[in-house]
Amino acid sequence: MERAEVAEMMGSRFGIPPEAFEAVSFFLRGRNVWAFSLPEVPDLDYEAVGLRFISLRGRVPKPSTYALQLFGRFATKNVVDLSSDQARKFIAGERQSMEADLEDGYVVVAHQGDVLGCGLYSRGELISQLPKERRIGEGGIENLLEGGGR
Amino acid sequence: MDGLSRYAGVIPEFDRFVEAIYRPLPTTARINGLKTGRDRLLTRLRGAQVPCSPFPWYPWGIRMGTDKPGNLLENLMGHIHIQEEISMVSAVVLDPRPGERVLDLCAAPGSKTTQIAMMMENRGLLVANDPANGRVASLRSNCERAGAINVAVTRYDGRRFPAQKFDRVLVDGPCTGQGMARKDPAVLGRWSLKRSLGLQRLQVALLKRGVEVAKPGGTVVYSTCTFAPEENEAVVSRVMERTSGVSLQEVAVPDLESSPGLAEWGGSSFGDEMKRCARYYPHQNDTGGFFVAKLVKE
Ligand SMILES: C[S@@+](CC[C@H](N)C(=O)[O-])C[C@H]1O[C@@H](n2cnc3c(N)ncnc32)[C@H](O)[C@@H]1O
Repeated sequence: MERAEVAEMMGSRFGIPPEAFEAVSFFLRGRNVWAFSLPEVPDLDYEAVGLRFISLRGRVPKPSTYALQLFGRFATKNVVDLSSDQARKFIAGERQSMEADLEDGYVVVAHQGDVLGCGLYSRGELISQLPKERRIGEGGIENLLEGGGR
Repeated sequence: MDGLSRYAGVIPEFDRFVEAIYRPLPTTARINGLKTGRDRLLTRLRGAQVPCSPFPWYPWGIRMGTDKPGNLLENLMGHIHIQEEISMVSAVVLDPRPGERVLDLCAAPGSKTTQIAMMMENRGLLVANDPANGRVASLRSNCERAGAINVAVTRYDGRRFPAQKFDRVLVDGPCTGQGMARKDPAVLGRWSLKRSLGLQRLQVALLKRGVEVAKPGGTVVYSTCTFAPEENEAVVSRVMERTSGVSLQEVAVPDLESSPGLAEWGGSSFGDEMKRCARYYPHQNDTGGFFVAKLVKE
């Protein structure tokens, strides 16, 4: 998988500059793109190599929450910064209606400028794409205080 | 005090040691520099009214005033990794650099793997190996959350890790875990000399393989979280006897109190050189207990 192809996907959707991926190699396994630090892996039996980055299963490429947590901070569009109340819902894995300057599709979801993960924006609703094992039910989050937490 | 009275003659201020071992551990975490900045994270936590203060000896480690650090938003985002303070010392002594080839021979659940990945700035190659099925799942999950992209996970029996050459190797092997008593007091009841000696065979074989797969000039760090010399100095000494061209380097971390490794124990002499290893006791830095040796290959 060419780096330029991945940079193009992340650039056209999120405005992330291609230089962000300069030190990263990408390869395709099944219908997932994985990111790794080196162009070649040494000859060993592997359980896993690198970080799951983009799923090509759907109609449009879907970045993993982990990819966005690393590179989402370079995004210039399709980013939404949530209030603490909204963040709590997102982390619980819920959907919520929201007026935002976003194109329909996958978006970078942040809180106070730090990336929480991947969301899907569709017809005025933000749907959490956080992996199930990362979700924390409402009230579970220790430090999201009412009214912004700052 | 099962299994601890045998150390009365070697642990300094033994009364204070015993008293410390029954106190719960402070809550600690490591800031993940792959995903956030140190100041940014500290500001975030303080803004959310989580009291925190960096360790005096390691700027990426913090003590936190919270009982449930796992439920912090910063943990979910991978900006912190919950890790016992003293366990951060192995990677600091290993001192991996960006772009190197590094092996973490007994890696699960990946506290040290993710710390090493961060020190390597996500570059080069970090092979994280562990044969234990269930534990590899948590290793992978921790690497994902940390955003490690230079980690390749393997599941070899470390004693038979394939021939490869690494700049640095960490052997953080299985042990009787006496140093974890502050987290789980039951470890003390489970200790026996027989268990220590049984593990010693495995530890020797793991460290020996670790040394074999290091490049000439490479560094191998051996660490455990137990006090038993049978699993510490005796292991290092046995491997050094059987391997030529390996020397011990002084382990000294500024602002972290330690005691020297033991030159002798229970009638066996390991040699003065073993004093270059470091023993960390709970009452010295208010942490768990730990042992670290640093070997360098000619
Ligand atoms: C103290 S734990 C490692 C902790 C880990 N380094 C960390 O920082 O999260 C010891 C590990 O050694 C592994 N182990 C046991 N036998 C092994 C073997 N033969 N080869 C490699 N690893 C082994 C265990 O599965 C266990 O995960």
